[in-house]
Amino acid sequence: MSIPVRACGALLAILLLLGACSKEATDAGAASSEGPSTRDYLVTVSRPNLLNVIDLHDKTLVRQCELPGLAAPGTLVMSPDGNIAYTLVDAFGDVFGIALDSCELVFSTQQSQGDVRVKSIGSLAISPDGGEIYTHQNRVQLQRDRYQLQTPQVAVFDTSAGLKAQPIRSFDAPRQVTIMATDAKGSLYLGGPDIYRMDVSTGDYEIALASRSLEDPAYSQRDVLTVWPLGEVNNELIRMYSAARYRGESGDLDNADWIWGYEVVNLITGETEDRDFGPLEVVLFTGMRRPGHLDKMYGVLTQLKEFDVDSQTVTRTIELEHTYYCINFSTDGSLLLLSGALSDVAVYDANTLEKITNIQLSGDMGMANSYVFNRRTL
Amino acid sequence: MKHLKAVNKKAQQLSDAADQGEQDEVVAMQTVVGCAATTDPGWEVDMFGTVAGLCQPMEADLYGCSDPCWWPAQVPDTMNTYPDWTKEADSASKDWRNLESVYPDDKE
Repeated sequence: MSIPVRACGALLAILLLLGACSKEATDAGAASSEGPSTRDYLVTVSRPNLLNVIDLHDKTLVRQCELPGLAAPGTLVMSPDGNIAYTLVDAFGDVFGIALDSCELVFSTQQSQGDVRVKSIGSLAISPDGGEIYTHQNRVQLQRDRYQLQTPQVAVFDTSAGLKAQPIRSFDAPRQVTIMATDAKGSLYLGGPDIYRMDVSTGDYEIALASRSLEDPAYSQRDVLTVWPLGEVNNELIRMYSAARYRGESGDLDNADWIWGYEVVNLITGETEDRDFGPLEVVLFTGMRRPGHLDKMYGVLTQLKEFDVDSQTVTRTIELEHTYYCINFSTDGSLLLLSGALSDVAVYDANTLEKITNIQLSGDMGMANSYVFNRRTL
Repeated sequence: MKHLKAVNKKAQQLSDAADQGEQDEVVAMQTVVGCAATTDPGWEVDMFGTVAGLCQPMEADLYGCSDPCWWPAQVPDTMNTYPDWTKEADSASKDWRNLESVYPDDKE
């Protein structure tokens, strides 16, 4: 069901009276005729069960589609053509595919089977050709007197399978995976204790980027917290780590610097990179590099911080009106976008870090990620 | 478990698991079944032992933490047992008065 949120004046009123306010009529009345033929959109999920589409050119909420399930966690990826939003929702249970043009439900999974309950924690990805959806499944068998832990799996779904799709392949997978992405060659990256690279035809996987298993006497073990697959506008998957960097003897926390760093997978080449980028002064939940300015790193939670990666310094700090979990950028890097937690998306000028506007949604986003992409104007 | 004493049934099961050498199974289960055994400071203190780094307002952090069962002691298990706990509160900061306490069903 499409919920038109863009006013289209008298024409809309008339068509509503006629019971025929089609998508075309809504768009015709709303899309500024002088606007570009393609534009950036930000999509995110909010309570109670809404997929929100925000036009970043007009900076307005242009569409809301109802999801057939509870909003959490709200992890979202777009099909490569920008037409279908795939959302992991319904209490971490299933994926629903929604066509943005019509708000029609075109795809759904059925992850839990029989007495095996499946939960996926923010781990959702799509193949580069849009033909397959991947989830990481935490599986537990509900027995009469106890829960029997099962081996986690990566499940592969055919996006053309329609509703209540069953996996077409499943592979044993590492535990504690919370984010995923695919690269241009189709390899699947799983963000867990390390970042793993999986061949989705065989299920073979390897460590692409060592994180928890990294043994560097100059650092403590890395701490990573993320359920937000981010970096699509840079064609990368990025997550942050924090660690103690010892100034002297290894393990001497009294003589150490606490630092932030990032771990990046280049989703074009499959190459990985990790490095420190600044001091750990406050807790940050998500961070991204600015498109076109990859030497600048930005992180957010209760403050917005800008880091100069090369000098590993904080260059700007913005006190926020409230906590935001999720950071993102427009595809050209001109807008910095904050979402998650409560119910508004804050839009900042990425040059000045001055706020441009807040776009209000009807319910909280919680831990939903945002996804930014460019497509034909809706 | 030398310095901790179980005070409820769930804690006793954790203690039993440790006595039986099954700690790894308990650790794994906390992710698999959601609200099970996570112990986290919650809204009381940040990683530096102060309050400056806490989410502001507290309601901003409520659903991001209750949905994935981050703080099971403070909020109901909405992932499995009480999925409708927030049904009348789409906006935590505006609707928090509609968030009620929950009680085990006598039939369960």
